[in-house]
Parts: sequence; structure tokens; C-alpha cells
Amino acid sequence: MALTRRGGREIDESRPLKVVLDGLARVDGSARFGFGDTVALASVSGPIEVRLAAENPSLSTFEVLIRPLSNVPATQSKSLAATIRAALIPSLILSQNPRTLIQLVIQSLSPTRTKSYDTLVAAMINASTVALLNAGSIPMKGVVCAVAVGRINPVLVVDPGEEEEAVLEASGCFAFSFGDGLDDARCVWTNWKSARSFDERELAQCKLLASAAAKSVWLHIQNVVGGDASEEEEDEMETS
Amino acid sequence: MSLVLPGQHVAAQHVNLKLGPGLLQTSGDASTSAPPIIATRAGTLKHNANGSKWWVENNSLRYVPAAQESVIGVIIQKAGEGFRVDIGSAQAASLDGLAFEGATKRNKPNLKIGSLVYARVSLAHKDMEPELECFDAQTRKSEGFGELKGGFMVRCSLAMCRQLLDSKHFLLPMLGARFPLETAIGVNGRVWVNAKDVREVIGIARCIEAVDPNGGGMDEAGIANLLRNLGL
Repeated sequence: MALTRRGGREIDESRPLKVVLDGLARVDGSARFGFGDTVALASVSGPIEVRLAAENPSLSTFEVLIRPLSNVPATQSKSLAATIRAALIPSLILSQNPRTLIQLVIQSLSPTRTKSYDTLVAAMINASTVALLNAGSIPMKGVVCAVAVGRINPVLVVDPGEEEEAVLEASGCFAFSFGDGLDDARCVWTNWKSARSFDERELAQCKLLASAAAKSVWLHIQNVVGGDASEEEEDEMETS
Repeated sequence: MSLVLPGQHVAAQHVNLKLGPGLLQTSGDASTSAPPIIATRAGTLKHNANGSKWWVENNSLRYVPAAQESVIGVIIQKAGEGFRVDIGSAQAASLDGLAFEGATKRNKPNLKIGSLVYARVSLAHKDMEPELECFDAQTRKSEGFGELKGGFMVRCSLAMCRQLLDSKHFLLPMLGARFPLETAIGVNGRVWVNAKDVREVIGIARCIEAVDPNGGGMDEAGIANLLRNLGL
């Protein structure tokens, strides 16, 4: 079944990835990550001094705060923060700096117009990962890359865009932890949900599709950390 | 020179292998002979000439104390016999009042809150607060450590500090050729500088900020130009 997507992209192709290392003042690491126009900004500080109440004697405390584009953080942000925290924790080595705090603040830079905003969640996870890598002071054992997948009946598409999100029948975000290179990817989190029922086969198919797209995210992140792509994309982001 | 991301395996092998910052030997599964060594941060993988010491070189802003490193701290509190010192790490370090050259029970240095000290990390353990000392424990001589009087403290990235410690780096010899200056470099992202004239101190601070890989990474020619503009 043929499906024409905006910008003429393939069903397994994400929008152009944009990563900018902002260098925010007063934090240890920060990054902006965008799938096309869906952009999130993350900043990381740590290991820093922890409040006595949140102190953990054997691990560092990992705190995730999400700020929506408008209004103050409410239940939705808190719930999202908890899921993103859960997705990132397996890739962090928290035992190396006990009794400290690692604080991750994610600022959404795109509005959530529709019910499903999995692309934004994926951008948030990727922005957090790049910010953690940029900080360089937090030990990690993997790199988490996330991609959203949606179903526009009956076609599965990677990284649904804004107008596609409005007509999705099913969607979800898939986060993969990359250990030793590209081939060592492990799905650490997903929230695949559907208006109708879905079966295991479909979920496996989504996972396959997402993992291929997550690999391109990983490669992009590797380029940025290596210092190749950041500069040229900075101009691009300014003009848009 | 190779880029590694966290989780990537590192093929480091040597009979007397030492792993530096950014590398971790995982427990691995029993089936494989050697437990894999993974990188725990993104950066450039480096090793010494004979391959016995490996580490990952990267830049960061947050200092995590390690034993025997020279740091610059700010006294934040007097605590009984000693002082609490902010060295930029998660926990404040403690500096004993007797850990100075020539200090005795009767004659202890009287450091005020807010004064700067150049000290060595004598104890760094993840479960304990770091401890500092301002003398060599064997010789009991200060070896340049102690209170830093006057001058100015510049903050920079950790990679910048390490570069300044390298005697082959161009910046300090270049500045030293123009006017006399004093520096104390802490690897915790703090550099103390002093010169006769305030203009010169400002010039040094500007140069360090400009050369910092986090804030421009200016090269030798650029610095020569900057100094000319500053009239130094």
C-alpha cells in the first residue's frame, strides 16, 4: 500500500535530525535534539550536592524534571518524567558517585497539539542522552536512542510528523540502549498503544522498524559527539 | 585517536593493565575468558606508549575528585580544627588545620572564609568526603601549596586546566614572554593568576577563556591578535 508522506520521505525514514550543543551557562551539559520541527532541550548537572531527603547511601539520585512549552509542570509532565527516568536509568552507572545528585531538566520546545506526542517523547529522550554525553561527568554504560512509530492504517511509519500524528490509529515511542556499537541494541522502553487491538506480530514489526531508525539516530549522535555535525547544523537551527 | 561512546568495548590488553578515567572492567559472563572493558563516557580513547595504561579523554565542567590531584578551593566554613573547602565537587572537601607546612597545635594558619587555597587531594573515595592537604606528607614542605593571596581566580573547563598543565602548551609561555605572572592551576576547573598590573590579570583571564575548548578554542595566532588588541 502506497502512502505519500510530506517531504517525500519513505515510511522508514525519520525527518532530518538536528542536534545542537547549546552550552547553557550554569549547567554541566546541555543539548537540543529535534526530529524536524519537534524539538526538545535538555540540560544535565551532576554529580552535585543532593538534598538530605533524597540522598541515597549507595547510589546517586537521578532526578528528571520536565518543563512543558506552556504552563507549569503538572501531572502529565510528572508522569512523562518518570517514564523517561526509567528509560535512561539502565544506561547510567549510578553506583560510582553515591550520595550525589544527577539532575536532568528537559524543556519541550514544541507544542503538543494532538493526543499522542510520542515524537516529542523520543526527541526528549535523545536530547537527554546527548546532554548526558556532553556533560561527560556522569558514567554511563550505554547510549539510549529513541524513535516514535505510528500506524496510519494499515501502514507503519517511523517518526510521524505533526499532521500525521493527528490521523494515527496506533503509536508509540521505542527506546533502545546501544552498548557495544550499532549491533548491540536492546529495547529498554516502549509505550505502544492502539485504538484497536494489536498483536504481538505487529509489535515485533514496530520494534524492528524502530531499531533501524534508532541506529541512524545513534550514528548521528556519534557524529555530533565526535565534533563533525554540530557547527553546520547550528546555522540551520537559527534560520528555521 | 579514536572516538568511543559509553558502552563500547575497548580492546585493551596488557599483562599489567591499568585503567584510567572513563574505562570500566565489567564483570561479564563466565563463558568468555576475559571480562570486557567498556568505556563509560564519550571521548577519545588514549593509551601510553607500551599500552599498559588506558583512559578516555574528554571535556567536562564538573570535577570529580581523584587522589593526588592539585586543586584550587574556596574556604566556606571553619570546622573545629580544620576547614571545609569548596573544590567544585559534589561534596565539600575537608582540610585539616595541621596539614600545612610548619603548622603546629599552637601555630595554625588562620584562613578566612572566602580565601583561596591551593591544595592536593589526599583522600578521594566515593563513599567519603574528599580530604585535602597543603603540604607533602613525607617532607612536610609546602611545595607551592597553601593560601593564594591576592590575584584572581578564573574558571574554565577541565580540559583547559589539563592543557595549561602541559608544558608544551603555547599559552602560558606566550604570556610569560610579555610580562611576569604567577599562576596556580587546579585540575578542578580553576586557575589562579596574578600579575603586577590589573590590566595584565584581565588579559590573562580573557586569554584563558578564549583558548578554552568549551568557549571558542582560539589558537596561537588568535591569542597574539587578542593580546595586541588588549595592548599587552
